[in-house]
Amino acid sequence: MTPSLSSAVGISNLPNQRHKIVSRKGTNFTIMVVGESGLGKTTFVNTLFSSLIRDYKKPEHRIQKQMDHTVQIDVVRADIEENGFKVRLTIVDTPGFGDFINNQDCWVPVVDFIDEQHFAHVKHEEKHDRNKKDDLRVHVCLYFIPATGHTLRPLDIEVMKQLSSRVNLIPVISKADTLTPLAMASFKDRIRDCIAYHNIQVYTPPINHDDTESAKITNDIMAAMPYSVLGSETDVQNAAGETVKGRQYLWGTVEVENEKHSDFVHLRNLIIRSHMSDLIESTEEIHYEKSRSLKLTQSGKTDDDPQVTAKKNLETLMKNEEESLRKKFTEQVRLEETRFRKWEQRLIAERDRLNKDLENQHKSVKALEEEVDELIAKKNASR
Amino acid sequence: MSHLGSVANIALMATKTHRRKAVKKGLTYTIMIVGSSGLGKSTFVNTLCESNVFPKIDYSNAEKAALEKTVRVSPVSVDMEEDGIKLALTVIDTPGFGDNIDNKGAFTDILNFIEKQYDDVLAEECRIKRNPKFQDNRVHVLLYFIPPTGHSLREMDIEFMKKLGTRTNVIPVVAKSDTMTPSELQSFKKRVNEDIAHYQIPIYNFPVDEEEDDDEVIEENNELRNLLPFSIIGSEEEVIMNGRRVRCRQYPWGTVEVDNSRHCDFSKLRYMLLSSHLHELKEITHDFLYEQYRTERLSKGLEITPAEDIGDSPYSSVQNSGQNTPSAPASPVPVRN
Repeated sequence: MTPSLSSAVGISNLPNQRHKIVSRKGTNFTIMVVGESGLGKTTFVNTLFSSLIRDYKKPEHRIQKQMDHTVQIDVVRADIEENGFKVRLTIVDTPGFGDFINNQDCWVPVVDFIDEQHFAHVKHEEKHDRNKKDDLRVHVCLYFIPATGHTLRPLDIEVMKQLSSRVNLIPVISKADTLTPLAMASFKDRIRDCIAYHNIQVYTPPINHDDTESAKITNDIMAAMPYSVLGSETDVQNAAGETVKGRQYLWGTVEVENEKHSDFVHLRNLIIRSHMSDLIESTEEIHYEKSRSLKLTQSGKTDDDPQVTAKKNLETLMKNEEESLRKKFTEQVRLEETRFRKWEQRLIAERDRLNKDLENQHKSVKALEEEVDELIAKKNASR
Repeated sequence: MSHLGSVANIALMATKTHRRKAVKKGLTYTIMIVGSSGLGKSTFVNTLCESNVFPKIDYSNAEKAALEKTVRVSPVSVDMEEDGIKLALTVIDTPGFGDNIDNKGAFTDILNFIEKQYDDVLAEECRIKRNPKFQDNRVHVLLYFIPPTGHSLREMDIEFMKKLGTRTNVIPVVAKSDTMTPSELQSFKKRVNEDIAHYQIPIYNFPVDEEEDDDEVIEENNELRNLLPFSIIGSEEEVIMNGRRVRCRQYPWGTVEVDNSRHCDFSKLRYMLLSSHLHELKEITHDFLYEQYRTERLSKGLEITPAEDIGDSPYSSVQNSGQNTPSAPASPVPVRN
């Protein structure tokens, strides 16, 4: 039974204070976009934050690019501010991913980058001086799936498996205006089946069952996964005459924020409006912890207190010493035994030899004696 | 049959002096379609032939999705009739191309297939007594589907078109072109053409002979060349619009018509493929590409194995006395430059 105060002391003001502190400090947020070129990743990022975060690729440079078959990690920083709240945004792009004839292991640089950030942070925590460092831990990774209308490709499945265990993964269907609504629905179903079959852990926001309204919103967001997105920075006129972001075709106008045209709004809510803090927290808690313990066990430490570990170490050392001594002893004994045995054998051999000599001598003596007897017998016979 | 505005007009074709007379049996014609899966190849073929040539594949098996597939070459025969002329069309699809993580092997399978058709013809020519019923299965034209990235050609596109362009007429097409707005499509086509020029990719670009051809033909070819790569859309669904049956794709924001030349180049491509340039493509395949292959093959000194044995002449039996290519690189194909 927690006692409640009769008069207001002011502890209920704590969330407001917290709010002030947080809004002053701002926050770090890192998004990674993974997918082949030409899927609209850059456009999407720029649309998501309504500003030119990343420049579009210059087509003149494309000829030099194709010479080396490497996947690069491209980091772009932007500080954005809305209503006084600052976000230090980092976008990590992966140019070259999936663009070549042989894409074997093209996900390795991406996965290594994610792991590296966690490990670097672990190392950083061990230092004396834990000042504010550039924290590039990836909070959310958007994997762009091309809108083929069929199903996931082997590359998609392999990469998503690798990514899902390390980072909050959200699969995204790019260029949503490629597929008709019916085709899109069946495509999504097949992708969901694939994801379930291959046990790919995509990001699921926590549902707070008490708050029914937000639970409903979250459920809606979850149901639309994988999200079909559309990006555009150009303004167009829609049917109602309003100016919105969209794409103008000869046969109609697609609007980015129209829910019937794409899931952009849901995804934006997921990443920014409702669940940004959860993404950040889950990265720091779950994934960071996972990689931290992994790293530490790799470097030989366990959960125990250092003295206990030292004692354990000493014990093992002693045991090892004992073992080696015992081994040495048995070795020596064995050596001596063999030596003695050899000596024995030599003696036996010597004895045999001497015996043989003796025999021979005996034989010759006997032979001589017989000769003597014969001669005596002959002499006696001839008298 | 006439959805199309500019349908094959055989009467017009017959008056053009440099076109050959159509064979009574029906023209044989082989089109090969190559591209990664999901680019609308099967839909395109079904739209082109106005019938369900390639049935819809069932992709719902999640386990199979992760498996690496090998490229299959699957020819299907379609008999078509355009204004009284019978066309024995063979369409070859190549499912599995470019779908794997490592796609190096995809080229050799397709190249081997094309070269085998040439080998068969070569062997047939070398026979003393030829087979009157011999079927010419050479690939006359290859449509390469470029994914509508909006950037430029990918490594795979460049490599493939270069390798195959020396053996068959390659025509690049932009798949699913309703993904791009008109201005995006224009810049994409421009960049693709620049890449083709830069990497010297041999494609069929509607060559004209200034002296021999008449102005109409030159103009037509120039117009078609400017449309390269052709932007296409495919659809098997029909809708009644303004009293007409229209093949289209219906989106919540609008309807794209396949046969509307403002929306895509499908109708022009169809006319070009099946009517106006059919003979030209066949001629180039026979007179130029096949001859080139023949020269290369025979100069390597390999003996030719006929595909079927009639048994009429002593020379028709198999004589493959081993490959004596002087500097054979380690590659699965025996004849390589």
